[in-house]
Amino acid sequence: MRKQFKDTVVELADRDERIVVVLGDISHFLFIPFQEKHPTRCYNMGICENALVSIAAGLCSQGFHPFVHTIAPFITERSLEQIKLDLCYNRFGANIVSTGASFDYAWDGATHHCYTDMAILRLLPRMEVLQPGSKTELDTLIRSQYNSGNPTYFRLSDFGHPHDVPVKFGKGNILKDSGAKVTVMTAGPILGNVMEACADLPVNLVYFSTIKPIDKEIIERFRHTQILVVHDAFGLLEAIHEVPDLRVSCLGLPDQFCVWYGTVHDIRKMISLDPGSIRNWLQKKLAATENHC
Amino acid sequence: MNLACKEIRRNILRASRASGHGHIPTTFSVIEMLCAVYETMKFDPARPDWPERDLFVLSKGHAALGFYSVLAHYGFFKPEELMTYGAFQSRLGCHPDRLKVPGVELSTGSLGHGVAVAVGMALALRIQNSPRRVFTLIGDGESNEGMVWEAVMVAANLRLANLAILYDNNGSQRRSLPIPNPTERFKAFGCDTLEVDGHDLEALKAALAKPATTVKVVVGNAIKGCGCPTLAANMFEWHRKSPNPEQFEQFMKELEAA
Repeated sequence: MRKQFKDTVVELADRDERIVVVLGDISHFLFIPFQEKHPTRCYNMGICENALVSIAAGLCSQGFHPFVHTIAPFITERSLEQIKLDLCYNRFGANIVSTGASFDYAWDGATHHCYTDMAILRLLPRMEVLQPGSKTELDTLIRSQYNSGNPTYFRLSDFGHPHDVPVKFGKGNILKDSGAKVTVMTAGPILGNVMEACADLPVNLVYFSTIKPIDKEIIERFRHTQILVVHDAFGLLEAIHEVPDLRVSCLGLPDQFCVWYGTVHDIRKMISLDPGSIRNWLQKKLAATENHC
Repeated sequence: MNLACKEIRRNILRASRASGHGHIPTTFSVIEMLCAVYETMKFDPARPDWPERDLFVLSKGHAALGFYSVLAHYGFFKPEELMTYGAFQSRLGCHPDRLKVPGVELSTGSLGHGVAVAVGMALALRIQNSPRRVFTLIGDGESNEGMVWEAVMVAANLRLANLAILYDNNGSQRRSLPIPNPTERFKAFGCDTLEVDGHDLEALKAALAKPATTVKVVVGNAIKGCGCPTLAANMFEWHRKSPNPEQFEQFMKELEAA
């Protein structure tokens, strides 16, 4: 998705001179052509994430649409107060673009894992929280929201899903509605595993690329069903609970650090978010629902 | 003491007495620095959003009452409004809000943020080839925060000559994490650094007017509570306190003699 991020921003920047890119010493080589084309609008400022967010607020104050880009835990968890005060409270609508979602950097260990970002950012007033699952979703959402006037979080992943989902900001997608008594809800790249897991199971399937504002209308449509949330980060479950009095179960993350290395696929398998484990969990839930009925 | 600066301090005492809120010593530390900025900047109090104005960010947001008193002095609103300081529906909170107070460019309060936002403002103006300048005031206590130094590093690396940082060197951290030799530190970070008496209005104005080729830092050696010896001698005790009627009269007398 990083290359798509660059491609989309480069194209937009040709038409919109208010776009400025601020890098935290990540994706440096990727943006060299942009820097050569727009030398005053691309800055690799260094490894100082807190300052980068606040500097972006200053750019916004004078009419620019900055994209601040670096590794997920450092630009979100580390810089939470800068996002909260200098962007949200001051009403400056910078774009925060992270890379290294959830366990994309599995091999780097827990310091580089990031799974609370969406859960904490969705708590901030005016914040838009987006989890595109593929390059095309990212392209659509950047074009739609980069100049929304609100601070917007784009959560990039190097391991997108392969499905073609026509996303729209603030809207969920019904990928399958078979009138089933159970509805699976998921978001972002893990859709690939979820689709594989529930291919022939009697479930409805709803997908989100926007975590905030969550599409309450689409959730309401399935409130009469048992909702099963499958997600590899915090935030979606909490967002779904904005709709009160639902019957919800969740297959998500354990309350412990994931202290293994390897790849994102290894970690997902270890915490039961690989297709086989998801399927087993869904089948158990389906059986319990049948017995309950 | 400059008569205008003395009257601004009187208004601070009146507002603190009326409201029950404090932060008097830190505001008394920065009045001349704030006035020097407003004597230097381009602004129009009748049009706070005038597109050609220079920008000022109070990074040490807890000096809000001093900032408000200076804004009132320069005509952004009437001094009487200062008496509403900190009240429930007042525009004038104990930290400034850019969406409420004319002349406030950034809502501040959490230390270290304002200077970094000011760096972004200065960069934005440079991208636009604008002659406008950015001024920000930071505290020495505030400069315990790491983000201050991140921002200064970026400003120096980008050689933001349209940014001036005033450093209120009033020794407020002498009981915890003092910053000895701030001038040397800012020079070491690559800033064009000058050190002046933080209560000498003319020296401050001259320092701000001096051309620079990179980010400028004006270290203003100041006294926390300047104008009232009792406040200066007891700056920690008076950090947030508001005077009772007897103390108010005493401070007004001390100020008169200053």
